[in-house]
Amino acid sequence: MLLEVLQGTEAGGFILIQDSVNYCGRHLLKSCINTALKREEVVHVLGFEVSQEELNDGLDRTSAQRLHFHNAYSDPLGWTGNSPFTVHQFTLEDISTLLKQTPQAKAVTLVIDSLSWILRHHDPAAICQKLQALKKGGVVRAVIGLLHSDLHQRGTVGSICHLATSVITVAPGTRGLGAFAKITRRTKSGKLMQDEEIFSINEDLTVTIQSKRSHPGSTPMNTDESEVDPTANLTFNLRLSDTQREAKEKLPLPFVFSKEKKSALLHPGTGSGRILYEPDANDDYDQEDPDDDLDV
Amino acid sequence: MAAPKMSVGKPTVDRLPCNTTSFQKKSRSKLVSIPGTRPSIQNGQLIVSTGVTSLDYVIGGGLAVGTLLLIEEDRYDSYSRMLFKYFLAEGVVCGHELYVASALDHPNDILQELPAPILDDIASPKTVEDQAKSCDPESQDAMKIAWRYQHLPKVQTALASSSRFGHYYDVSKTMDPEICQAARCHGFYLPEHSTAVTSPTATTSGQSPMPETYSSLLNNLQEVIHREGFDGSVPQTKSRNILRIGLHSLGSALWDDDLCCRENPSHGHALTTFLYGLRAMLRSSLSVAVVTVPSHLIQNRALMGNITRLCDTAIALESFRGSERETNPLYKDYHGLLDVRQLPYLNCLVCDLPDNKDLAFKLKRKQFTIERLHLPPDLSETVSRVSRGELTGTAMVGSSGCGSGSTGNRHLDF
Repeated sequence: MLLEVLQGTEAGGFILIQDSVNYCGRHLLKSCINTALKREEVVHVLGFEVSQEELNDGLDRTSAQRLHFHNAYSDPLGWTGNSPFTVHQFTLEDISTLLKQTPQAKAVTLVIDSLSWILRHHDPAAICQKLQALKKGGVVRAVIGLLHSDLHQRGTVGSICHLATSVITVAPGTRGLGAFAKITRRTKSGKLMQDEEIFSINEDLTVTIQSKRSHPGSTPMNTDESEVDPTANLTFNLRLSDTQREAKEKLPLPFVFSKEKKSALLHPGTGSGRILYEPDANDDYDQEDPDDDLDV
Repeated sequence: MAAPKMSVGKPTVDRLPCNTTSFQKKSRSKLVSIPGTRPSIQNGQLIVSTGVTSLDYVIGGGLAVGTLLLIEEDRYDSYSRMLFKYFLAEGVVCGHELYVASALDHPNDILQELPAPILDDIASPKTVEDQAKSCDPESQDAMKIAWRYQHLPKVQTALASSSRFGHYYDVSKTMDPEICQAARCHGFYLPEHSTAVTSPTATTSGQSPMPETYSSLLNNLQEVIHREGFDGSVPQTKSRNILRIGLHSLGSALWDDDLCCRENPSHGHALTTFLYGLRAMLRSSLSVAVVTVPSHLIQNRALMGNITRLCDTAIALESFRGSERETNPLYKDYHGLLDVRQLPYLNCLVCDLPDNKDLAFKLKRKQFTIERLHLPPDLSETVSRVSRGELTGTAMVGSSGCGSGSTGNRHLDF
């Protein structure tokens, strides 16, 4: 599902890549940018954490004119007075003016690297409201954000994940196979899909999925103990052959009644006490009274 | 255990009659007769249905008019949103007025997604005739040995009361727009009402007890209640009606409240002040409110306890989707757990607590059922042995390691 999420961004989508100090999610972010560029979209990047050269390294050179990098790395807080982009400019109006500066005909994808930087300087509730306004506003078609989950409180991370339509949580894979990604995706109709995959990123920033559905952290309890079959290695036979099983099933049970008797017992009559007796195969049903020949 | 009666109602499109019990009090009742409501069996309060008949049974018959139901949302807000929509759909079907407030979706979008009511009573529970039909002679072979027990009713896991109150809805279809437009709806969409979204960093923390968003919502609600006459201000020109208030996802970050974001929120008492004012307004008007709160994001447990205490009825949903319980075989029939956190004592000393606290819910196409969670009998040998061994293992570790240092897996053999 990772490839679907990276490739198919529907309008109004917010993809959140959540990483931690153990594994950096920026490679996955760059692969997202690359996929968007290949789809002939215009990509605007708000770069707070890395410089433009470092981000452009490895990206597709041919579509470089569709990639617009807004440099918030050199002076994010506006100390010098003439910074290209500051963290306080993260509002709907400022971003709209920024996007209008560069003429575009198609939909715009906004990439935020990273949301953690903005969350440190703004109220998290206000950031959630701004993200929601960006999602619904129609100014951008999709928003992709990177969040370092170990830098914030759980409630803040949870609130931002609640807003996102797709959340990709990356973690280092075990045994050097690649990285582990857990993807949660919510469709517009409210359906929820989840998946876990192991992936790796190649040199040209394409993602290859190596295997799906493997749980690196969980250890099931009973894989080590194999079930010892007690019916093996016995001197007597405990199993049944097929003919023996058929004969066993054909054997009538001792208290099985006929259908008429069952229905008579289940639906009692009009209250009259009758004794219904059906002779069994072994019974010797003799109508005579054995006391008749007593001479008393 | 009596099987529930099938009620005979002739439903029309615009006004559906409420199904009362067959018991009628002889005295002239002082309570007003409003469609869609009935007096409660337990304490005589006027109650409305929440839209889900099992939920009505769990909270004691229904929601009393003038009270507040708190629903703690599940992780991805799927089932709590469903309950919210059931509540609003029940209001439309009964002819009540609606008030919907949301910060995430526009209220008109929510109203277009309401489930369609099932008007010809297909989904009523099985009656005695159905049960008698099923035990004709051909199907008696279903039980070969225990055939005498075929006629006894099965153990009732589904919770249902003996009389029908409320309607059933089909989740796969949406409500007809004509039915929806017949109901009067008031909406409050936060982005349209908020004046200044930019948050000043220093100033207004001490000025008002709650942020702009909650106070504007409270003012708007009071204005609607007063204007439409739910608090008795308008003289009796028209018949009385109930206002159903649905407030979606209060306390989330979109309402400009950092209760969910921080452990020590700056406006710690914003939501509690709002709920206090809301409850005061509800008590003095003919209205019922349902509030959903994303409690899984709230880190401060004391605040969550305050919020629960300020509402009358509180339930919490926990869905299995996405958690490790999804693969647990005990829970494979259900979609989640439901926990009744609080029930109100309305003009009485005791309230009707459900006898079983382990409740699980399942969303089927035509019904949202809440059932008692039955643990199946533990037939496998290893399970019980491991648990006993683990218990003794931990007990031994606690007691300064005397005896053999047993690990969790070794079981005691006698």
